[in-house]
Amino acid sequence: MQEYRKISITKDEVVPVAEKMRAQGIPLAMIHAFLDENGKGNVSYEYEVGPAIESYTVEGENVLPTITHIYDLGAEWPEREIMELMDIRFEGCDTSKRLFMPDSMLDGQGQILVTPMDKLIKKVKGEEE
Amino acid sequence: MSYIVPIGPYHPALEEPVHARLYTEGEEIKDAEVFIGYNHRGIEKLAQQKNFIQTLVMVERVCGICSHSHAFAYAMALESIAKMNVPKRGQYIRVITAELERLHSHYLWLGIALHIIGHDSLFMHTWDDREAIMDILEEISGNRVNYGMVTIGGARRDISDETRKNVLEMLDKIEESMNRLTDILLSDKTVALRTQGVGVLTTEDAKRIGAVGPHARASNMAVDVRIDAPYSSYDDFEFKKVVYPTCDVFSRVVIRVLENYESIKIIRQALDMLPKGPINLGTRIPTIPAGEYMVRHEAPRGQLCYKVVTDGGENNKRVNIHVPTFKNAPTVPTMLRGNSIADAGLIIASIDPCFSCMDR
Repeated sequence: MQEYRKISITKDEVVPVAEKMRAQGIPLAMIHAFLDENGKGNVSYEYEVGPAIESYTVEGENVLPTITHIYDLGAEWPEREIMELMDIRFEGCDTSKRLFMPDSMLDGQGQILVTPMDKLIKKVKGEEE
Repeated sequence: MSYIVPIGPYHPALEEPVHARLYTEGEEIKDAEVFIGYNHRGIEKLAQQKNFIQTLVMVERVCGICSHSHAFAYAMALESIAKMNVPKRGQYIRVITAELERLHSHYLWLGIALHIIGHDSLFMHTWDDREAIMDILEEISGNRVNYGMVTIGGARRDISDETRKNVLEMLDKIEESMNRLTDILLSDKTVALRTQGVGVLTTEDAKRIGAVGPHARASNMAVDVRIDAPYSSYDDFEFKKVVYPTCDVFSRVVIRVLENYESIKIIRQALDMLPKGPINLGTRIPTIPAGEYMVRHEAPRGQLCYKVVTDGGENNKRVNIHVPTFKNAPTVPTMLRGNSIADAGLIIASIDPCFSCMDR
């Protein structure tokens, strides 16, 4: 079984942790995110530390600093995807162009994962009250 | 003259929809952008409303080529949360199916690459060999794709002695054919002219962007989850990481050809050492406690990540799926820069993209 370690961190520790990992040549496997029942963000930065995954998790925050200046496109695509799919933003990440969603969909920030399908269809068609 | 050349999202040269914009100066590509999401089916959202067995069936439909990899990784994540010990025979059957899947996926890519470079006779030979692998997968599972071989706690179907014999015979046959194919691929002038020095991704760029799988190994990065973070029963078998240093499309061809030999080696060992005993834990609908786990699996195209969060109920709280193409597609603009428009299709295809996987 592959080892998985969850480590809780604060929003302010996101960049220092990424810098430390990058300096040690540790790859960023992925950034995963979801919203809890109250709409608050749960964002995990999954690093490949040897055979284990160390998951540095920030809970309860919907705005986080970007790590694209540290992990380049390896962080930019996951950050843009999360931004487009749910109500979580990464300050400093260039989101001027869409990655996942059509240009006409919503106002640049998604919520596909948290918006009911009927409401989503109305939004796309511009029928929202 | 400067042009912006749009490709896709729907284009005769694309097997799946994706949109790329090439910024060109005459015939030379100066920069490029990739836009994804045209195959988004909301699978992660749907997974939040389904129980574990329903999700297992659904995630196998994320992709038609590496379907077993998705079910394998999802089941491993749940088994890790529930601390289940999968019977050894079940583990071996999963590995055998995974390596057969890798073989047919690599053959598929080799065929497509040969078709793009205009070597259609070799493309047909490659896919003829691939048929033998598809037939064996059908014999083992009942299906050519979406095998349904995984259940939570093991494998769903056993491999009989007769099937075992048939798999070994098929491996002998395709290995002999692959020897000829390897000689041609590594010496053919058409292949060399269209692939050598084309679409270079340096080791530094591959590391910077975070490439994975055969694409990374073709850029001289020694990464392979099966060896770096062994799972299931992969540490029972002897095989090696294949890396190649030229970092171009040719390197990606070589990697896939040589990896086929490693997969054959693994399957033979697994069939030789196939342990006796149950293939699964016999649980129909498993009880999974609250927890979370992220697993990595070396799918045919590279590292596949599944993160599953459960709350002790019947359904998943959250399922995150991140596939190798999501890690490799950002390397495309870097590979395209400085190449000609005529090579764009081949360079994009050289990452072995799966947009169904990437978009989910």
